[in-house]
Parts: sequence; structure tokens; C-alpha cells
Amino acid sequence: MSQPKLIARCAILCVALTAGFAARADDLDALSLESAPQSERPTTDRPVRLVFEAGIGRNWGRAELPNESTRRLGVDYSQRIKFGDRWNAVLSDRLDHARPARVGSTDTLNSLREAYVGWRGEFGDDLVEVGRINLRIGPAYGYNPTDYFRTGALRTVSTVDPMTLRETRMGTVMLRAQRLLPIGALSLALAPKLGNAPSAESLSLDLGSTNRRSRGLISWSPALNDRVSGQLLVFGEEGRKAQFGTNLTALVSDAAVAHLEWSAGRDQDLLAVAQGRLGAARTSQRLSVGLTYTVPTKLAITAEIQYNGFAATTNQLRAMGIGTPEALGSYLLAAQDRQDNAARQALLIYASQRGIGIKNLDLTALLRFNADDHSRLGWIELRHHWSGFDLALQVQSNQGSAATEYGFLRSRSSIQMLGDWYF
Amino acid sequence: MLRRTLKLLPVGLIAITFGGSAVAAPDAQSLLAASDVIRNPSQPFRMTVTLTEFEKGQQVDTSTLVSYARVMEASGQYASLVRFVQPARDSGKLMLKNGNDLWFFDPGTKASVRISPQQRLMGQASNGDVVTVNFARDYKAKIAAEETIQDGERRSRRSTKLDLSAANDDAAYSAIEFWIDSESHAPLKARFISDSGRVLKTAYYRRFQQQLGADRPTETVIIDGLNPQSVTILRCTEYVARNVPPTWFQRDNLSRFQPD
Repeated sequence: MSQPKLIARCAILCVALTAGFAARADDLDALSLESAPQSERPTTDRPVRLVFEAGIGRNWGRAELPNESTRRLGVDYSQRIKFGDRWNAVLSDRLDHARPARVGSTDTLNSLREAYVGWRGEFGDDLVEVGRINLRIGPAYGYNPTDYFRTGALRTVSTVDPMTLRETRMGTVMLRAQRLLPIGALSLALAPKLGNAPSAESLSLDLGSTNRRSRGLISWSPALNDRVSGQLLVFGEEGRKAQFGTNLTALVSDAAVAHLEWSAGRDQDLLAVAQGRLGAARTSQRLSVGLTYTVPTKLAITAEIQYNGFAATTNQLRAMGIGTPEALGSYLLAAQDRQDNAARQALLIYASQRGIGIKNLDLTALLRFNADDHSRLGWIELRHHWSGFDLALQVQSNQGSAATEYGFLRSRSSIQMLGDWYF
Repeated sequence: MLRRTLKLLPVGLIAITFGGSAVAAPDAQSLLAASDVIRNPSQPFRMTVTLTEFEKGQQVDTSTLVSYARVMEASGQYASLVRFVQPARDSGKLMLKNGNDLWFFDPGTKASVRISPQQRLMGQASNGDVVTVNFARDYKAKIAAEETIQDGERRSRRSTKLDLSAANDDAAYSAIEFWIDSESHAPLKARFISDSGRVLKTAYYRRFQQQLGADRPTETVIIDGLNPQSVTILRCTEYVARNVPPTWFQRDNLSRFQPD
């Protein structure tokens, strides 16, 4: 420290002490700091968001499968355009290039996530939107039974992290209307059938994935109180009876939040879907219930129990895994397409720690456990943030015999380094 | 003179409301309410918040947020909707606080996630630091002392020290030691205390400027209680009175929110 600075600090300290108060030297240091300079221009929203992503990695194959290097590139673009006070348009798109390509897919895939126009009433309480809209519902972390438009929404599966996976999710072409009232929010979504089958073409709109059936959803979010919130949903699908769902979140304590998602009604067994046996629907339910607890060190841990009454039984899974691995593969792909759980009972542990050791270094970890076949998937990410750039290291391990959900995966472990540039 | 009269007007009104006589000194709760009126505009408003983080005197991070706030009729407390503007990574993310209803929305994942008060979304500043709060609604005040302290501009100020204790579940802190100017009742300094009696952070209010009809502190210097080398400056600018409907503070508004 220079002598003039030292003298100045001593003088301030002396004045402070003689004034008869106990301001700490640290406080005096802090008060000499200045806020970052602010732009002369008024702060406005950034209507365009652009992210470039590049990654390299390595997969270690299971059994006789070879090890392989992986690489991927991604461009993520979204823009909101306002036309006066009432009208707006949204465009959101993601282009992914990954090698090797996923089984049954191509290495370059474009996902038009959203493209719609919207109108809103004078105070924004009424809303009507038309186009491809990403209507995602449900508070659960890893399995969302009340997210009724999830089937066929993922063209690209670039990660096992359910949070990041949502960023690649495509919307459904629909008409959506919503009214916000003092006592809650009422919503309606109507999605027509616009295609018959998914497309693997790189630049396809893939309406056969997101709009392969006509569907409708009514939801009511009552204003309960500031500790509990929820939604009631009725979902109808062409040729099916209605499904009913509810989701709830509750603030349990200053550090704990609980969530629940439940859906029941008639639907097809996942195994029947995988085998192309249409029509055989039955009544059952899906459930996800969990708790997130935050410790004072900024570590947030979520434990979530998941149940899917439409999934194959343990015996069915075992029989497929041992006798007909192709059938197990088809079954797991069907579960992935519907974003449904392949297991009847499963567990998710999700943990995130901000600032692990050094500032801007975050740790995220997840464990998926199939309680039916006892296979496990573990994933850890270390991510460092700089201004406009993130660098992430991801490690994944899949444990279980070849006849199990996670043991069936081509790789037993993988590592990936990712860079994200934000503009 | 006129300005000073205007400054004291809220105190007088509150004193009358609480049944005090014209000559009686305002009670602690009235002083706290008067200080709230200086910290926060009473009408619905929008402001820009710049957070600058320092470690050992070096700037390590900065972020910009836009906050929309209004007093909710049912609770008498402010509700805030905070939109992240900078850095680009966080642009468009939203935080909603309406009492204990605390939500985070990420436009990338379309996920509205209820968070607990303990969960942090940004560096050293807690979620509570960037939302507007009326202390008088959540804390019970008593006058502790008349003291001369050093204010945020490092000037000696004659102050009234108020000891605040949590009055309901909405209070973010167990207790607050709060120093206000003895004459104007402007907030000068606060020390936030945990359940265990530990000082969580110290805040200095400074850079008073005319904003929406009152001389308000536009900067808060927040010093971490455990690590005094960790400092965050919270700068509030671009105050604008605007219509902020109560329905904005519903979770369902997050996914459809359109900024100015």
C-alpha cells in the first residue's frame, strides 16, 4: 500500500474513533469501492439470445463395443419481436451436430423449438398465442407426469441432465389462450394432428413428432397461499379418454421445498407402444414426488421418487433384456421418445453447489436409480463461468448388467469437455 | 425547507395514524415506517439494479437486473418481479417474490421452479437483497440508542439506532440493527442478524438522490458478515412509476412475461 493511501486510511480511522463509533476498518475499505459504471443508455431487454456450443469427449464402450471419440457443435438462437403493445412474435431454434450420431438419428439436426405470434390484453391478463409453442408443465426435476405435451418433443438428446435437456425441447403447434385472474389462472391449449411419424431429416419441422395426434389441455392454477401452489389439469387425446393431473409445490421451511406431480387416466402401456400394438389402453397412474433442501453452504439437494404405472414390470424388463435385447432397445427408445420412465419405480438425486472452492465454479451431480432392475446412471458436471463464456467438464457412468435400463447403454462411461459462448 | 417538510410529512402522518399527539416523539415503529417510505416508492414502479461484486477490493463480477415492484393489497408488503438483463448467460431469467412465494423462471428450460429463501440465484447478494421490502410490516422495532455513526459516504451522522425483531414468518432475518438519520429518518446502516446471533451482513445506504418524489438511497454497500473482504454494491437507477398489475405476481405470468 502506498504511503499517501496509508495516511488517508489512518486519518479516516482516527476520525471514526474520535467520533465515538465502532465502524470497522473493513467497512471503511468497502465504502471506498465504487459500483461498476453504468451505460448512458437506458437499460432495455435483450430481445436476441445467441449461444454457441462446442464439445469433445470420449465414450468407453460396454463389453465388445469399441471406445469412441465424440464431438459436437451447437447453435442456439432465440428472438422476441414486439409489434406495439399488444402483439409479439417469438422464434427459437437450435441446430446440433453430433458425432457419432444417436442410434436411428442423423448427425445434424435442427430443432425449431418455437415459432408463434401472440396477442395480449391491455394489462397483459389475457393472452392468445398461435404457432409452435413450448408449453412445459410440472415442477418435478426428472420426471414430469403432468407435462402432457412431452411426447416427441426431443429431437436431440445431448445430455442426461434433465435441466439442460429441457433447453433442446421442441414445442407443439397449438392455439393457446390464458386468462390471469386475481383468484388464479385459467389456460386452454388445442393442438391439431399435423403429421404421422417422426422425421430424421436434418431440417425437418418434425411435426410428426410433436403433432402426431390431436390433443387438448385445460388447466386451472388457483391462488392458494404464498406457501402452497398447484395446478389442476384435464388432458384429452384423439381417440382416448381424458387423463387428469395435478401438481403441487410447497415451501416446507426456509430451506426446504416439496413438489408433487400426479396424473391418472387411460393410456397405453409403454411396452405396447414400443411393440406397435395400438389400442390396448388401460387405467393407471404416474407420480413424481420430491424434496429440495438447501444447506447454508449453497448446496441444494433434491431427492425425487418416481412411479410409472404404464411401464413394463420387472419381469417383463428382465425377459426382454435376457431373451430379446432388440425388444429392450425398442422399449427404451419408446420411453425416451415419450419422455416417460422406463421403470415402474425410480429414484433421482440431484445436487447443485454454487461456488465450489472458488467463485463461479459450480458443481452439478445427478444419480438416476432404476428401482426395478437396480441399474444406475451417475453424472457430474464442473462448470466455470466467465463473462460471456462457460467451460464445463462432464463425467458419466452407467452401471448395471446388459439386460438393464442403464446397463443396456452403449457406453459404460464417458467424459466430455464443453465450451459455451453467450452473445 | 419545503423539501425537509415533505420529508417529515410521512412521519407526521404515521404518527397521527398511530394516535400520537402533535408534540409526542414518533415511536420506533413509526420511525421505521418513515424510513421505509424513503427507501421505497409507495406507487408501483420499475427500477434498474446493478450488482457489482468485489473480493479483496477487486471487482470480480457485475450483473444488471430490472425490478418491477408494487405493494400488494392483501399483505401490505411489496411483491417484486426481477428480470435478469446481464450477463448474457442469464438474460431473460426471472425471479418472482410475493411473500413466501418465491419462484425462478429460466426461459431456456421453460421451467418455473419454486425456491426457498435459502437458495441463492446470484453471487453474494441474497435474493432478498434485490427485492423491495417494507421492514415495518415484517419487523417489530424498538429504539435502542441515539448514536453518532459513520454513514455510507464516510461522514459522521447523528442517528437513531432501532433494534428490529422478526414479527412474522415473512421476515428474512431474525433481527436487524438499523440506524436511521435522527432528523430525516433516512436509512444509514443495517446489520442483519441470524437466528444464532451471528452478523450475516452489514449494509450501508448511500448516494441519496431524488427518485420518484423523495431523496432515496440509490446505492447499498453490502459487506459479508463472515468474510468482510466480500462486498457487493447494489445500485438502483432508472426509477419509473408504472402500472404493475397484481396479476403479474402469479407463477403463471412468468412464462408469458414480456419486458418493456
